[in-house]
This record gives sequence, structure tokens and C-alpha cells, in this order.
Amino acid sequence: MAAADDAHLLERLLQGEQRAYKELVTTYQSAMRAVAYAIVGQRHADEVVQDAWLSVVRNLARFEGRSSLKTWLLTITANAAKGRYKQNRREVLLDDLPSPHGTIGDDRFTPDDGHWAVAPYAWHQDTPEALLTEDELRKCLEHTILSLSELQSSVLVLRERQGLELEEICNLLTLSLSNVRVLLHRARLKVFATVEHFEETGEC
Amino acid sequence: MLTCKEQVARSSDYLDGQLTFRERLLVRHHLMFCPNCRRFIRQMRLMQATLRIMPDEPVDGVEALAQRLADERLKDHKGGE
Repeated sequence: MAAADDAHLLERLLQGEQRAYKELVTTYQSAMRAVAYAIVGQRHADEVVQDAWLSVVRNLARFEGRSSLKTWLLTITANAAKGRYKQNRREVLLDDLPSPHGTIGDDRFTPDDGHWAVAPYAWHQDTPEALLTEDELRKCLEHTILSLSELQSSVLVLRERQGLELEEICNLLTLSLSNVRVLLHRARLKVFATVEHFEETGEC
Repeated sequence: MLTCKEQVARSSDYLDGQLTFRERLLVRHHLMFCPNCRRFIRQMRLMQATLRIMPDEPVDGVEALAQRLADERLKDHKGGE
């Protein structure tokens, strides 16, 4: 959202307009949830988002537009999440959980020369809109994203769906750039494997 | 020359602009000669675009939450700011 839109929305929020809050929640809750999910895990993510919303409302008058509204909201969410975990900061788990359709792993390449042993299957569709006309594929993708570790799924959502820069993700989640790159790559390969499987078999 | 396996290992960094100039050239060079890897990268981009446009799951109880936040704002505001 551009700065002018932010400013206009902010004005309506300050006046306590319910519809403006609805717009705010609808636009940003997914991104906020992804941040909370990465830091405190699934069990506490919803509580953290609730806390963050209240904190947003209380601090609204102090928002000065130096960052975008989105960055500001996500920073508040990250702080709310970290506050909850101040005592026992979790270690960065790079655990790789099994995914419904696997990944593009070593077994796809020949051991001797590293060429494709099983070449990437050619998908039938070449636009995202065409791919998503299959509602089954959308469900299948959601299922795969849910199967990812909390960090992998959040990094994927923040990068691919929310369009955040890698640096922003590092800052919000207090992760190193190399960890973010590894998490993102593993997540993408699993999602790739899901689309490939779907295109090849027509089922999830 | 990179192998296909090495190209795939660098694919996310390639797509995110995280490779050094030299590594980027290596990937480009590999792609020039490898139709399978070109297909892989093209489909990675398609996968990214698909994730981007996937509709969000609707937020549960958005009306009630919005009302609560609006009320909270008005309450704070009356409290003197």
C-alpha cells in the first residue's frame, strides 16, 4: 500500500471507524500471523496477534509514517512475540520435516555427474491464473504449506505472498541471512514438488 | 561448469538476487546449455507467481475484531490524548 493510502487509512482509524479497522485486519492479519507463527509457534500465534492488534490501536497516534504501515505493524507483532519468549528464546530450528510430495532432493540427480536423473516434469499450464483454476491445487498447496516447519512456512509466506525483502525478514524474525536463505530454498523446493506432483498425476 | 544439481542448489539465491556476480554468470551459463534446468527455473518462477496470487484464507471473526479495535480506539481517545 502506498504512503498516501496509509495516511488516509490512518486518519479513519484514528476516528475509530469500524470499517477502517476491518480493512486493516483483512489486509494485514495474514502477514502478522506469519511473523507470530515463526517466533512463538502455532500454539501462541493467535494470542500474539491479538496482543499486537491492541498494541497497534494504543500506539496509533504515535505512528509517524517513517516506515510503511505494514512494516510498522509487523515490527509491533514481532516485538509482541519476542516479549512472550524473552525468557526462553527458541533456538533457530532448521529442522526439515517431511512434506506430502517430498522435495527436489538428491535422488533426482545422477550420483556420478549431477545431471537430472528424473527431469522436471513439464507443467500443463504456464500462468498462475491457469494453474489456480484447479481448486484442488490450491487446497493441495495450502496442505503443503501447513506441513512445513513453522519457520519455513513463515519465511515462505513473508517472501512469496507478502513480498518482503530478505533483509526485512531477517530483522523481524532475528534470523541470519544465511538461515533465511536456507529456510526459503527448502520451502520452495517442497512447494515445487507439490505442483509437479499435481501436474503429473492430476491429484493431490 | 555447474552440474544440474548445483544449479538447483543455487536456484533460490539466483531468483532472489543473492548470488555474487561470478556465481550468477555460472548459473546463466549453465541455463544457456541446459533445457531441463531452464524448465526448472521457469517453473520455479511460475510457482512463486502462483503463491503470490493465491487468495488469502478469510480471517475468522473479522467484523467482531474490527469492532473491538474501533471501540478500544474511541475509549482511549476519550481517556484524553
